[in-house]
Amino acid sequence: MKKQIIVILFLIFTSLQFTSVFAQQRFPKPEFESGHTQPPTLKPEARAPILEYLDIVVLLVSLSLVTWLVLKKRSRIGVLLMSIFSIAYFGFFREGCVCSVGSLQNIVLAIFNPGYHIPISVLVFFAVPLLFSLFYGRTFCAAVCPLGAIQDFFLLRPVSMKAWVQSVLGVIPYIYLGLSILYAATSTDFVICRYDPFIGIFRLNATFMMFVLGGAFLLISMFIGRPYCRFLCPYGVLLNLTSRLSKKHLTITPAACIQCRLCEDSCPFGAINKPVPAKVAEDRKTIIRRYSWMIILIPVLMFIGGWTVASFHETLAKVNPKVRLASIIHENPTILDEDTSIDIDAFRSSGKTRAELFTEAADIVSDFYLGGWISGAFLGLVFGLTLTKLTIIRYRIDYTPNKGTCFSCARCVDYCPVVKDKIEIKTLKI
Amino acid sequence: MSLVEHKKIGVNVKLWKSIAVIAGVFAFLICFLVIANYIQINRLDPVNTEAINTLVKRLSENPNDEALRNEIRALDLLVRKAYFTNQWQVRAGGYILLFSIAVMLIAIQIVRTTTPINPIIDESVKENDQVFKKLSRKWISIGGGAIIVIALVLTFLTHDKLEKTFKEAAIIASTDAPELKEDTPNRKVSTAITEESTNEDEVAHQGSDAQLNVKVVVENVAISEAPSEKTTTPSKASGVPDFVLEARKNFPSFRGANSLGVAYQKNIPTNWDGASNQNILWKVKPNLKGYNSPVIWGDKLFLTGANKQTREVYCYNKNTGALLWTKVVDKIPGSPGTGPDVSEDTGQAAPTATTDGKNVYAIFANGDIIAIDMQGKQVWAKNLGLPQNHYGHASSLLVYGDKVIVQYDQGKSPKVMALSAQTGDELWSTPRQVKISWASPVIIDRENQTEVILIADPSIAGYDIQTGKELWKIDCIYGEVGPSVAYSDGIVFGLNEYASLVAIDGGNSPKVLWEDFDYLSDVPSPVATKDLLFVVTSYGVVVCHNAKTGEKYWEHEFDNGFYASPIIVEDKIYLIDRDGIMHIYKASKEFELIGEPALGEGVVSSPAFADGQVFVRAEDHLFCIGKGN
Repeated sequence: MKKQIIVILFLIFTSLQFTSVFAQQRFPKPEFESGHTQPPTLKPEARAPILEYLDIVVLLVSLSLVTWLVLKKRSRIGVLLMSIFSIAYFGFFREGCVCSVGSLQNIVLAIFNPGYHIPISVLVFFAVPLLFSLFYGRTFCAAVCPLGAIQDFFLLRPVSMKAWVQSVLGVIPYIYLGLSILYAATSTDFVICRYDPFIGIFRLNATFMMFVLGGAFLLISMFIGRPYCRFLCPYGVLLNLTSRLSKKHLTITPAACIQCRLCEDSCPFGAINKPVPAKVAEDRKTIIRRYSWMIILIPVLMFIGGWTVASFHETLAKVNPKVRLASIIHENPTILDEDTSIDIDAFRSSGKTRAELFTEAADIVSDFYLGGWISGAFLGLVFGLTLTKLTIIRYRIDYTPNKGTCFSCARCVDYCPVVKDKIEIKTLKI
Repeated sequence: MSLVEHKKIGVNVKLWKSIAVIAGVFAFLICFLVIANYIQINRLDPVNTEAINTLVKRLSENPNDEALRNEIRALDLLVRKAYFTNQWQVRAGGYILLFSIAVMLIAIQIVRTTTPINPIIDESVKENDQVFKKLSRKWISIGGGAIIVIALVLTFLTHDKLEKTFKEAAIIASTDAPELKEDTPNRKVSTAITEESTNEDEVAHQGSDAQLNVKVVVENVAISEAPSEKTTTPSKASGVPDFVLEARKNFPSFRGANSLGVAYQKNIPTNWDGASNQNILWKVKPNLKGYNSPVIWGDKLFLTGANKQTREVYCYNKNTGALLWTKVVDKIPGSPGTGPDVSEDTGQAAPTATTDGKNVYAIFANGDIIAIDMQGKQVWAKNLGLPQNHYGHASSLLVYGDKVIVQYDQGKSPKVMALSAQTGDELWSTPRQVKISWASPVIIDRENQTEVILIADPSIAGYDIQTGKELWKIDCIYGEVGPSVAYSDGIVFGLNEYASLVAIDGGNSPKVLWEDFDYLSDVPSPVATKDLLFVVTSYGVVVCHNAKTGEKYWEHEFDNGFYASPIIVEDKIYLIDRDGIMHIYKASKEFELIGEPALGEGVVSSPAFADGQVFVRAEDHLFCIGKGN
């Protein structure tokens, strides 16, 4: 039966290759006498509406299937096979776009720019994985996200990292999230997409530096599990938060944990909460005092964060193409007389005056100042809450997945000797 | 599923191990070959090989050695072929390498997943939660602090009060003359107009550049004060040149004299039927297809037709339909010969010809332009360069006095130019900062000024017909502009699908009077009377606006869409749809249908008119419709 499912999936995927043949471009590409051929673009072509709806269906089916494989079947091999499908379909076939990770920028842009109409497929790709995560944990990360799946495939010799290192590096995605929201809200750039290390691999087309970056990430992935997902992915921040609320999350053991420690190092992502015995507890007064200080510290950190990023806003704003162009023209007004770059040429063709450009640039810088305060306060809040969380000691008896950071990859379930209500005796040795 | 159950699903671990090993070895070999090939490509310079260089040296000593020349060519071809084959091999090798690595990884992961595990429990390693949290707190604090310090240091180093600087720069730029580039007088004019600097005193101190602005503004003031011409009423108003009055007696260009969409002919039939030949005086089939419209001078009617290989101009007797002559347009100096690849619904002969009664002027998609006298003899011809136009060049020619106006808004170096009607020499040429346009020029005659009005993304602009100088420009349009402008009583109307309909006061300080977004067009051009504007959409809706305010008087939806443009004749509008049904209705504030005669053949070209006659180029035939058959 499983083989049949695989065959059916393969056939569906293969047949999809031909559907694009029927997608007709509205404007045919010109053919020149010179024999010039259009250079390949770095962006995927727009998809036919029917294919967009098909993508939505495939997403829903994949998520449901993976969730079922993880929660009901507890099947690592099933997750693995779905990963292959996701890399092939969402990665290479759909050329990694639109992905849920990048979609959050579209959402932000739609909120801050009323003129931007968000496509329904983007909305679904953003919301559905979060909904699944809210109820069932990060099954999207397990085998549907092509970015996670491709890293997972390269994981050959996992090296365990110190927990505190993971904890410190785990703050980076929040910073990346803050910056990507700031840039999307100011209509500056979709930085998540621009610096997606795997998109070039999926499209077999990228700048040399992006190929190097993608290759470096895959190389690191051989030893450190999913470095992008754990220490960069801004969408992972949202999934982390929603997944913490999930009621039906993957469990390591199908029944009661017997504290056998067999699963202790099974997670290459360090996402297993280990038992914390009561004897490690600090003095209660010390904990309360530190906790109180942290609560007071949070608004202070928010202010410091806001003030710092707001002060830094000019440097951030210089990424904006209009601000950059305005700076160039302001520094060198005669540049308009020379055909020096495509930006200058485009500005000249636009018919805009310098006054208009400078006014727009000033407005954008002003937006960055306000956005800097908000982003900085958000980062201050993140630092404050993270530090606060690290002051709390939670006693635990069992080995449980960390609902926030667990990718529901189902590796750990194979380490548990418990089968439903009995203990399976293992004499397993390679 | 527990480990022991893996056996049940039938995963053959040994097989997958073998696959992993084979794929790995294969990937290694391919990788080696690709690298070797890549090095070979980098070492090989196909245009600078030792063998060829030696032969070239020998050839330079003996330049007449044809055999050696051919040998060099053959060798050069061989080297280039080898180079591109190597490139292909690297590319194909890359794909194979990727595939083999993927297979290897899949096999390894399947083996790893299905192989029983032997967890190692190290009793000596026991993590202390307190230590972990303490270290985490410490390093997060240090990391956060470091970020703040780095950000503040960078802020200190790079702080240059951008917002304030830009605001000040904007104020300076809005009044600063040096912004106006000396080498681009066109932009000077547009900048001045955009910023509406009409106060002479304000700009007087700005030096010579500013004086130019003032001059233009003054010119425009003079224009606005001149009595505006009522374009719908032919009259011998003073200031209208004789050749324009003569042109109005005919139908000399796309959308009539000056391309205003007005025909001055009389007794035009309103009833005919193509199926029964009722009122069809004659019909002929032109040799080659073309989407251009007929033009008429005297008893002669002109059309053009073309395919990729051949371009022709036809002259018919308008009363009998007899083909008087056909001029094959070939042997044009600099012509690429074959036409470019264009879209089917534009074709090789989309621009309509124009005539002044002495010559007929025609242009084709490959940039060939020709002047032919009334007897079919070539007067002059030239190639303007292959237009970079992905659908195909479609802007029609327009003759005015001794000038043939060519709107050449193509991808590379868009421009408008005037060629001498007698010699084809360029009289003036003005570069335009616009995108490709398929619209045609329109000429506005005034007492002291004649303007060529052009529309293309991003602007509608007026040019002095005598010098080509840009007189005014308003950025108000975008997209792939097909419809030409309409004009009446001092107001220019321009529109494009997905953009807007704009009414521009073409007088002093040109400005947008009103805008509308409801009904737009991507092919048919609008037409205007003194008080009314008629907009025709390509999907079949016709809308009547108050020309002064934009208020909609009526809208009417017809069954078929339109590509042809409406023409005003005798207070009636003639508008033919894509099925060949002519919708004739009153050019009035209320919709009043007069007739809907059908031709029985699809039509995309606009009709032409002579006294008592209508001429329509349909899909296959050219029809002459008149009373009395």
